[in-house]
Order: sequence, then structure tokens, then C-alpha cells
Amino acid sequence: MPPALEMRHIRKFFPSSGVLANDDVSIEVQPGEVHAIVGENGAGKTTLMSILYGLQTPDEGEIVVNGAPAQIAHPNDAIRLGIGMVHQHFKLVPSFTIAENIMLGIEPNRAGFIDNQREADAVRQLADDFGLPVDPALRVRDIPVGMQQRVEILKILQRRAQILILDEPTAVLTPQEVSELLAVTRKLAQTGHTILLITHKLIEVKSIADRVTIMRRGRNVGTFNAADLSVREMANLMVGRTVTLRIEKTPAVPGEVILKVDDLLVAGAGGIPAVFGAHFDLRAGEILGIAGVSGNGQTELIEALVGMRAIDSGKVMFLGHDVTHDTVRQRRETGLAHIPEDRMTMGLNLRTNLDENVVVTSYQDEPFSRRGIFDFSSVRTLAQKIIDAFQVRSARVGEPIKTLSGGNLQKVVLGRELKGDPKLIIANQPTRGLDVGSIEFVHQTLVAERDKGAAVLLVSVELDEILALSDRIAVMFEGRIFAILDAKDATEEKLGLLMVGSALDAPDHAAEKTHP
Amino acid sequence: MKFLRQLLDGISIPILAILLGLAVSSIFVVIAGASPIEAYQRLFCEGFGAQGCATFGDLLFTQIETETGAQTVFSPTYGAGGHSLALMLEQATPLILTALSAAVAFQAGMFSIGMDGQFVLGAITATFLGYALPDQVYALAGVVDYDSAPASLLTAMHLIIPTVCIGAAMLVGAIYSWIPGYLKVKLNVNELISTIIFNAIAIQIVGYLVNFPLRSDMNNIARTRRIDDSAWLIPFNRGIFQDIEWFSGARLGIGLILALIAAALVWFYLWRTTAGYEQRMTRGSGLFARFGGIPSGRAALRAMLISGALSGLAGAIAILGVERRVVDGFALSGTGFDGVLVAILAKESVVGILIIAPFFAGLNLGAINLQFGNLPRQLGGIIISFIILFRAMEDFLRLQFTNLWSKRRLILRARAEQDGAAT
Repeated sequence: MPPALEMRHIRKFFPSSGVLANDDVSIEVQPGEVHAIVGENGAGKTTLMSILYGLQTPDEGEIVVNGAPAQIAHPNDAIRLGIGMVHQHFKLVPSFTIAENIMLGIEPNRAGFIDNQREADAVRQLADDFGLPVDPALRVRDIPVGMQQRVEILKILQRRAQILILDEPTAVLTPQEVSELLAVTRKLAQTGHTILLITHKLIEVKSIADRVTIMRRGRNVGTFNAADLSVREMANLMVGRTVTLRIEKTPAVPGEVILKVDDLLVAGAGGIPAVFGAHFDLRAGEILGIAGVSGNGQTELIEALVGMRAIDSGKVMFLGHDVTHDTVRQRRETGLAHIPEDRMTMGLNLRTNLDENVVVTSYQDEPFSRRGIFDFSSVRTLAQKIIDAFQVRSARVGEPIKTLSGGNLQKVVLGRELKGDPKLIIANQPTRGLDVGSIEFVHQTLVAERDKGAAVLLVSVELDEILALSDRIAVMFEGRIFAILDAKDATEEKLGLLMVGSALDAPDHAAEKTHP
Repeated sequence: MKFLRQLLDGISIPILAILLGLAVSSIFVVIAGASPIEAYQRLFCEGFGAQGCATFGDLLFTQIETETGAQTVFSPTYGAGGHSLALMLEQATPLILTALSAAVAFQAGMFSIGMDGQFVLGAITATFLGYALPDQVYALAGVVDYDSAPASLLTAMHLIIPTVCIGAAMLVGAIYSWIPGYLKVKLNVNELISTIIFNAIAIQIVGYLVNFPLRSDMNNIARTRRIDDSAWLIPFNRGIFQDIEWFSGARLGIGLILALIAAALVWFYLWRTTAGYEQRMTRGSGLFARFGGIPSGRAALRAMLISGALSGLAGAIAILGVERRVVDGFALSGTGFDGVLVAILAKESVVGILIIAPFFAGLNLGAINLQFGNLPRQLGGIIISFIILFRAMEDFLRLQFTNLWSKRRLILRARAEQDGAAT
């Protein structure tokens, strides 16, 4: 039997950014296998999959599907060849039902009118065939994320896909949903489907994949049997050097209360409250992790704490000052550092150079400017200090930063935020999209700051990260701080349950603080 | 070396765009029944050449007859009978200012194209004060007019009156630009649409003023009074350079110097002050600015004020240095919008504006003179439009460039860098 899919000598160069995203990459995937493709951000795995799905055209190389050379210039070609893709961000119509979404564009009709009955029947049949139960009549906006993903998978199965590309499928799921997805993946492989799994979560690779292709800097480092490699070996191959996965950390020595949040009510997009009565304390020398499925008010909570979003009621005390209505700048002057969720658009301005990025929090202060006029030599000195202290590879003073890798960009952010010994560090998803090596660096840096006496508020949807770093863990669900646990008592299962709103047997004292 | 590479990188695409624009426009010349080579020779000679320029070669060197026989001279400095370059600079002066005005707004992320409105309001303000203020001064001093005033008074007036006119025009322009800025920042009213509307309003206001309250005589075309001589920014050919023929025929003067000073100040503001930094960061990434605690709204409003003042200054200089009165239809000259185009072509860079605005003015000048031949002046507009179109295709052109020459080398370099970063 020929391989289900071969990609040979694929090369893709982006002249505008000067990035050689794929450099002579070849992969070969057997029918019925779960084939993981792992690599750091920027390693070229997404580009490779975009080429396979017809979203990008390769400069060189060929694609062979089931032994026959294939021209894939458009996703329609890919679908015709039985290749389907579940994107990281779902492409569903929220106001349509599950059946309407699955049958979109291929609706059964009677004299030009959509036959709803047959549509629903077809979806029910499909769901039964693959053992992926859904209720065809529900609207997509009303169903949880895990179910939406199932709809996406059904949608491509309906189009007779034999090769399924899953792009970071577990990024948005709760732990329970992740294990369901992994079971579904297994089942699909057993029924003869070929799965291409793009991910950077090595534990999942280990538990589900038959083979794994590791990519680094646009090249294929090698394809291995997943059983033959340990997670640590995979990580080392991905990064190209030895990494440590465990964080060495002594017990916290909490000091005075740095941040006191009382009954916070914050409106989200469209004026609908996104944070209801959040309530917690944070002390010097401890890391408080906020766990939760993304979209449960974490972003709004952070924005309110740093001063980017108006607080409707409640109180924020920072070092004994009431900062509830202070501006971003006033809070920063009090000793706040903010490592934002999105370093590309919020944490940095990729359209300008390194110097102008490192000075954004202090451009008004001497020595960086005097009477409104810049002293660029001081700014350059600062930039060089950050490069040296945080080993920002390939960054140069005065040069654009848009070509830096994610890890190096995050080092620039850390360097800027942590200079001047902040009292409070608010880190929102500080390792999102980073490779193993950079994650290690960010984690060590945060722990080091804690040991120097800073209070750290860490928001993450990665439970591993929360569990590894936090001294205490708060769970956020539907805008509330649903529970606060000591890190010693927390397990992945416990947190997973709390994250979807089921209270534990012994509810925590901080839970369920409602607001009128 | 690095500077040279940057410069080459910066000008290669505009030059390519100009050549492509000329090439495509030649289709229209052929349709109009003329030879493109001849048309372009005429266009460039009229825009940039010395007297008697007839071929592309004459743009650089001209044969002239002297008493000692034929002689070859360097054209750009050969000024006998006046030089097109002086006219070009006269036309470029307000264009530089309106382009700077657009660039400052764009560099704050405000897509304001209100330069036309601010320009005409600045112009009418300078005109009115340019004759009304001296009237008051003469009345107070008890003299009849300019010719009967004592010399000491005139010296003071020559300094103060233009300064006041310019200051008032800049103030009016700034206010007229601040309103759409405020609407944008506070109420999120799209500034592109509001400035278009504000342009229409300003043009109608000026049309009304020229036709009714400020109309000076029953001339066929309505016009205001002429500004007093004491308000006049005396052109070089009447003043310090009156013996240099190069300047003759061009009302080029102190305005150009003011425009160059303004350009230097704008550059300093944008790239050397914290205020300029604030507005550029606001434009580059609104989220980043909010994150860093930059007062974005204030930065955007400040940009709109500066932008409006520059357009008002352009209007004042057009009147005080060149036109000396507003004639009905002046408001439709389009100097403001041409400034927007120059700013876009120059990628909002101050140095770029100083290069492109004169080129643009020269093309316009040449095109006006084309209509005295057998070609419509609209040809100038067509050429400019195509150049802008090709300029906007920068990414595409760059790609073709890379494909043509050095894609393979770039790949090797990228690979080497990635290998380097790996170690």
C-alpha cells in the first residue's frame, strides 16, 4: 500500500519577511496512522500544513496523495483529494445549527429549497457512523468549545476526508475535553483515517501519536516512532539543545499584602459584565495562579488590574494605595509590571525598532528624555542592557524587531517589564506559543522575581504551567473567582472540574461571591 | 555604506514606479495621437528645463549662441529668461506644507484628508487680515496708504503684518483640523469621512465670502481685494535676487524658506521628541500605546492640531507670497489633496516629501503647458495617478525584483542566518 501522503522537498520562502519557512522538508505519512508534527513556533509546521491544504503555494517540491502526484492550489483541491483541516480557530457560523454548519454549501435540497429534515438525518447518520454524537438542531453559539470542535471534525468527515489535519486542537480545551478528543482521534485512525496532528504539547504526542516528525527552523529534523522517544528527547530535538522541564522552586515566603482586590465588577465587550465580584489578596514573594478555560473573564480581570479597562465597581488596593481609577502610567509608577497575553500587538510594536520598544514604559523619565526631547544614547544603553541581561539572541540596538522569534520577543518584553524591580508582576499567558527552551526561561525568570520579593499574578490556560509555578491557585469561571486552593492540594483533575464550574465536595470559602 | 544601502532601498521603488507610470501613460498619449517621446520631452522641459529646452538632453546641457559662438552650458543653472525650476519651486512650496500636514496626521494613525479645507480657510484668513490690518494701522497712523507711510512704520509693518497673518491662518487651520480629530477621539466618528465633509464646507464658505462679503469689485470673476504691500512676502525676483535672471517670472520667495524650516521642525518633532514618539506609537499599534500608558487620544489630537496649522500655513504662503488675493475658484485648486498624494508617495517621510513635492509640482507645471501643444493637461493627472498606483504596488514590485535578481541569494542568506541563530 502506498503512503497516504508524501510531501517531497518542500521549500517555501517569504521574500517580504526574508523567512525561509520550509527548507527542503519531506514527510511521509502511512494510512491509518496518527502522525504528529511538532516544533517550536516558527519552525515551519503551520506553513507546511498550509501548503498541504492549498492555502500557500510552495516554491519547490511535490505532494503525492495515495501514490498519485497532486496539484493543490486551493483548499477545494485539497478537499477533493480527501484532505480536511480543523483550524485552530474554528470556522463555524455561530447563529447556524450544527446540521446547517456541517452541511454548509452541500445542503440537500428539494427544488432549490433546503430540505431541513434530510439535512438533520444526514448529520445524525454521520454522527452515528463515526461515533461522535451531536444534536443537529442545536445552534453552534450555544454549545461548548469541545463540541464545536467535534462539529468541525464532522464537517470535514462529511466531505469524505481521509486525511485530517488538526492544528493545535487541544489549545482551547479543558482537560476532560482533551481526553475525549484524543479518544476520538484514536477511533478515527482505527477506521482507516490518517491524522496529522500539529502541536507543541509533547505529552499528547507521546500518548496518541504513532509517529512524530520534529521540525526545527524550517527543516525536518527527523521522523521517529513516538514510542521510541521520551518527552525529554523530543524537547531536546525540537530546541536543538538540552532543556530542563522541571522548575526548581523553594516554598514561598509570603510577605505583606501587595495587591488587594475587592468585589471587582468589570464590563467586557458590549457592556456585558465579564468579571463579577472578583475577590483576592496577593502577597509579596508568592505566585498566585489563575486557572480557567480561556474566555471566563481572565483577560478583562487583567486589563482592569493594569488600568486598561474601566472598573465599574469594587476596589483595587496596590501597596496600600487605592488605584481603582488610576491610569496605566500611575500604576506603573507605583511598581506594576505587565507581561501581556499578546506580545505581538500589545506587548510590542513590531513596526518599530528595539529601542522604541524598550522605552515605552519610561520614555517620559530622565535620562531617556529631558523636557520632551529624547536622549537616544540613554535609550540605546537601556536596550543593550536588556539584550545582555536577557540574552536576546539576534536582537540589535536600533534594529527592527519584527524578525525576532517568539521567545526572543518575549525576552524583550520581560527585560523591559522587570527592570527597576517591580513590586507586582501581572503575567497573562506569558509562555503562550513559545518553544520549550523559552518557556523554561520565562518560568525561571518569574520564580526568580518571586524569590526577590515580587508578588506575581499568573494567568494561564495551561494547567501544567499553573501547577508548576503557583504557590496558590485561583480558578476563574464565568467571571467569578470560583475557588482558591493551596498549590499543594491542587491536582489536574480537581482544577479541571472547578474550571467547568462544578464545585468540589468541600466548597472553598472564597467561592460563589455573587454580585447584584 | 549602510546609509547608502538604505537610500538605494528607499528610492529604487519610487523610481521604478515613475518609469512604469510613464510607460503605461504613453498608451494614452498614443491614443491622443502624439508621440510619447515628444510629449514627455515637452512635459519635462516645461516642468524642469531652462529656456529653449527641447529634448531630454537639454535638461542637463544646453547649446546656446553667444558672441563668441555656440557654447554648451549646464542647464539647471542656466537662467536666461527665467527657469522652470524656479517656477517649480514656487508651486512646490505650498505642496511641501500640505504634504507635511498629511504626513503628521497619518503618522498618528489619523487618516485625515482635510488639507484642502484647512488650506483655503488659512488662505482667506491671511487675505482678509492682509488688507484689513494695514488699513487699521494706516488709519491709526493718520496716513492714506502704503506709499505715504513713513519708512520706520513700514519696516515694522513688513515684519509684523505677515507674521500676524500667518499666525492667524495657522490657528484657523489648526482649529478646523481639531474638530474632526475631537469627533474621532471622543465619538469615534470616522475622520476620513468627516474631513471630506469639512473640505466641502470650507470650500463653500470661502466661495460665499469671495462672492459676497469680501468681494472687492465687479470683475467678471469674483475676487477679494489685494493684500496690502506691507503684508506681501516679497518674492526673490523683486527683492534680494532681482538681478538673477534664474528667478525671473517665478514668485518664489521667503515662503520656500519657511516651508523648509517647517519640514525640519516636523522631522524633529516626529523623530526626536516624546510627543512625536507618542503619536507614532499610537499609530503603529493602538493596543501597544494603551498598554504602555501612552495618552493616545491626546497624541492624536495634538497631531491634528499640528497638521491643521501646517495646512493653514500653506494657505497663508500661497496668498502672501504668490496669489495676493483669493479669486473665485481658488478653493478648487486641490493643493491640499495633492499634498495627500505627495505624502503617500513619500511614505510619509519628511525627506521623501522634500524630494517628491518638487517633482510633483514640476509634472503639474509641465502638464499645464502641454495643453498649449496638442495634448490635454489631464495627461499630467494620468501620469501621476499611474505613478501612485505603481507605488502602492510596492510589495509586488519588490517581489518581482527579488525574483528577477537574487531570490536564490536571499534564500542562502536566510539559511545562513537561521543556522547562525541555531548555534
